[in-house]
Amino acid sequence: MRTGVYVCHCGTNIAGTIDVHALIGYAGSLPGVALAREYKYMCSDPGQELIRQDICDYKLDRVVVAACSPHLHEKTFRQAVEQAGLNPFYCHMVNLREHDSWVHADKPAATEKAMDLVRAAVRRVKWHVPLERRQVPVHAEVLVVGGGIAGIDAALTLANAGKHVYLVEREPTIGGHMAQFDKTFPTLDCAACILTPKMTAVKAHRNITLWTYSEVRQVEGYVGNYSVTVRRKPRYVIEKLCVGCLECIQACVYKQAKVPDPFNLGLSKRKPVYIPFPQAVPQVVAIDPETCIEFKSGKCKKTCVEVCAERNAIDFKQQAEIQTIQVGAIILATGFDVFDGARIPYYGYGLYPNVYTALEIERLVNASGPTGGEVVLRDGRKPASVGIVHCVGSRDLHTNRYCSRVCCMYSLKLAHLIKEKTGADVYNFYIDIRAPGKAFEEFYNRVAEEGVVFVRGKAADVYPAGNGDGRLIVQAEDTLLGMIRKIPVDMVVLATGLEPRADANDVRRLFNIGCSGDGFFLERHPKLAPVNTFADGIFLAGCCQGPKDIPDTVAQSGAAAAQALALIDAGVVELEPNTAHVLEDACSGCKTCLPLCPYSAISFVEEKKARINEVLCKGCGTCVAACPSGSIRQNLFEDEEIFEEIDGLLASAAVGGGPVRIQGDL
Amino acid sequence: MKALRAFWFRPEMRRKMKFQREADPEWAQQVAQRPGCEGLFSCLQCGTCSGTCPLSIYMDFAPRRIIGLVREGFREDALGCQTIWLCASCYACAVHCPRQIRITDVMYSLKREALQYKLYPRRFPIPVLAQEFYGIVSDRGRSSEFWLVLRMALHSNPLQLLTLIGTGWRLFRTGRLSLHKEQIEHVKELQAELAGRRGT
Repeated sequence: MRTGVYVCHCGTNIAGTIDVHALIGYAGSLPGVALAREYKYMCSDPGQELIRQDICDYKLDRVVVAACSPHLHEKTFRQAVEQAGLNPFYCHMVNLREHDSWVHADKPAATEKAMDLVRAAVRRVKWHVPLERRQVPVHAEVLVVGGGIAGIDAALTLANAGKHVYLVEREPTIGGHMAQFDKTFPTLDCAACILTPKMTAVKAHRNITLWTYSEVRQVEGYVGNYSVTVRRKPRYVIEKLCVGCLECIQACVYKQAKVPDPFNLGLSKRKPVYIPFPQAVPQVVAIDPETCIEFKSGKCKKTCVEVCAERNAIDFKQQAEIQTIQVGAIILATGFDVFDGARIPYYGYGLYPNVYTALEIERLVNASGPTGGEVVLRDGRKPASVGIVHCVGSRDLHTNRYCSRVCCMYSLKLAHLIKEKTGADVYNFYIDIRAPGKAFEEFYNRVAEEGVVFVRGKAADVYPAGNGDGRLIVQAEDTLLGMIRKIPVDMVVLATGLEPRADANDVRRLFNIGCSGDGFFLERHPKLAPVNTFADGIFLAGCCQGPKDIPDTVAQSGAAAAQALALIDAGVVELEPNTAHVLEDACSGCKTCLPLCPYSAISFVEEKKARINEVLCKGCGTCVAACPSGSIRQNLFEDEEIFEEIDGLLASAAVGGGPVRIQGDL
Repeated sequence: MKALRAFWFRPEMRRKMKFQREADPEWAQQVAQRPGCEGLFSCLQCGTCSGTCPLSIYMDFAPRRIIGLVREGFREDALGCQTIWLCASCYACAVHCPRQIRITDVMYSLKREALQYKLYPRRFPIPVLAQEFYGIVSDRGRSSEFWLVLRMALHSNPLQLLTLIGTGWRLFRTGRLSLHKEQIEHVKELQAELAGRRGT
C-alpha cells in the first residue's frame, strides 16, 4: 500500500490552529504512508498538480487529503486523482477545518485530534475499492411550483429555451402577490403593467402547460427522473370551454356580492362565482362550493348555467383530477405569507378599524381595488394624517428575528402614493431605513423631500385619542430628538413583514429539502449555490428561500432556470456510486428493510429476496444498519472501512497503546 | 428687571461631548454579565422601551439612552442619573423589547451599584428613601412610617417638611400616623444574621 497524505493550510484557517508540520511528520510515520506533504491551498491548481505529479512519481495507490469539508472539495480532489490515472474513489478526505481547526482553540489538543483523524483516514482508505459512477438519462421537462412572478419568470425562461414546463399554481390564477400590488418601488412602475404581459405570455406559450388551482401531491424519483403527482382541484368550470365572458357572474342569483374577496383581503365582496381580478390568467371563472347555493342546498335556479347554455362550461359535478408527470428538474417558487398584524396586540390591528396592513393599503391605492383607487378610511373619509409603522413582525425576537428586506422600501412607496392621492401628512416610524438597492437611496431622498416625516423610533403603542375624535395616537420615542412623541393620525399602516408559507414545512417534506432556522427553504450554499437545494435537481426561486424584492426575485428565478436548464440540457446525470446492494445469498427475505427505505428503492423479488434499485438508492445507509443478517452492504461504507476507521480514530485512546478491538461481526 | 434676571440667572453651559478616555468598556462588559443584564449589546436603539415607559417623559435619560450609556461604558452618567430611580418596575419595556433585553433588571443592577458607590444624585428623594428604608428595617426589623418620612425629608429636602406639617397633623389626629417606633421581638438575631450576610 502506498498512501499519500496531503495536508492543506487553508491559509490560516487550518494552519492557524493545527501544527501542520508536526501533523505531516506524524502522518509520514504511519504504516503504508509513502509520503506526507503540506501546502498552503491544496484546492488550488498547483495543489492539485502536486497530487497528480506525486501519483505518477511515487506510484501512489491511495490518497488522503486533510483539508476542508468534502462537501466543498471532494469533487475537486477525486477529479485530480482520476486525472492521474487512479480510480477517484481511492481518494478520501479528512475534514480538518470544520471538524477541528474552526471549532477548537487549544493548539496542541487540536493537533492531536488532527493526528487521530488522519490516522483513521489512512487506515480506512486502504480498504477502498474501485467504483464506477453510473449515468442515467434525464427527462427534459421541468416542473415549476408556484405561479407568482418568480415561477412565471422561471417558466418563461425555460420555455423560451425550448424546454417543456409544467407550471402548477394553487390559486385559480397566476400572478401571486405581485398582482395585488399597485406600484413597484423605486421606479413606480405599475405592477400590473409589467406583470400581466408575462402572465399572458405564459398562457400563450406552446411550451408551457399551465395548471392553476392545482397542488403537487406526491414527488418520487431522483435527479433527472422525478415522477410528480398533481391534483387539479375542481373549479366547477370546464377550463377549455370557458371564454371568460363573465356573464355567469352577472347572472348569479346573488344580486349583490356577499362573500369577502380574499384577493382584496376582505376589503370588498365577491359572488360565489368569481374571477380573482380582471387580468387573471387563465380568464376562467371558478365557483366557490363553500358559498354557492347550488352546493349548499341543491335548489339554486342556476341562472349561471342558463346564461352559459351555449358553451355549457359550468359543471357542478366536476371532480378533482390527478395527473402524473415525469420531469427532470423542479423549481420551487412557492412565495411567502404576509405577517398577521393581529399578532402584535399593542398596534390594535383588528381592534381599531383604521389600522391597516400595508397589503390592504396596496389594494386601496390600486385602481382596480375595492375603492377604485381612493385611499379612504372605513367610513369613507379621506385621512388627513397617516402613520406608517415599520418593522411589524420583523427584527423582533417575539415574532421574526430577520429583517424582511422589502418593508422599508414599500413603506416609502406607500408614503409617496398616499401623499400623492390624499395630501395627508405621512409619518414613518422606523428603526433603520434600509434602502441599499439600485436607485433606492435616491427614492428615499425624493420621498423625504416631498415632506414625508421620518420619526426614528419603533412605534411603541397605538391607542384611540382621548378626545373621542376617532383619531389614533401613535406613541414612539423620537430617538433623534430624545423625546417621546404622541402623534395623532387618522390611519395607521402596519408595514408587515414576510413569513414562510404556513405549509412550508409540509412542502419541504414533500420535496425532501431543508428549511433554515427562520422557516424559509434552505439553499445549498448561501453564497455559491443560492438557488440549489440539498436535493439534486430541485431549485429555489423567489421568497420561498427568504424575503426579497421583485428585482432580486426575478434575478433568482433566472438563475434557477439556468441551473435547471444546465441539468436537463446535458441529457444525462451521473449518479454517485455510494449505493447499497444486497448479498442475495445471505438475504433471508425478512423484509425488515422494505418499509424503512425513505426512497422506496427496495423491492421484494420472486426468489424471496430483497433487491435494491441502485438508481433510486441515495446511499442513506438505513437498510444497511437495519439488516439483521448483515447482508446489505454499501459502497464506500463497507464494514471493513467503517470499523478500520473507528479503530484508527480510537487507537490513541486504547489502554496500553494497543488498538481497541471493536466487537462486531465483520 | 429683565436685565437684572439675565445677569443673575445666566444659563449654565454644559459640555455635551464625551472623550473616549471617560468611557469604561470593561465596566460595560461586566454589567452585561450580571444576571438579567444579558443581551445589552444586542440593543437596536429602537426606542420601544422609552415609548412604552409611563415615566420616560420625566426622565433625564429615557431607558433607551441608559442602555446606550451602559453599552458605551459611561459609568458615571448611567449611575448618577435620575432615570434608574424613576423606574416604577412595571416591566412594560422588558415585555415589548424586540431584543428581549430585561431593561427593568438592568435598572435594578444600576441602582444597586449606584447605592454601593454612593453615585446616586444627592438629595434625590427616591434613593434616599431606599437607603433610609433599608436602614430602619435592618435596625428594627420593621418600618415605622413617621420616622421613615422624617429621615427621608431631612436627607433630601428638609424645607419640604414645612409643607408636610398640615397633612402630617391630620394623619396623626385620625390615628393614621404613629410616633411609635415599631420593632420585632428578636431584633438582635436579625442584626446578627444581616451582619453575617454582609460579611460573606
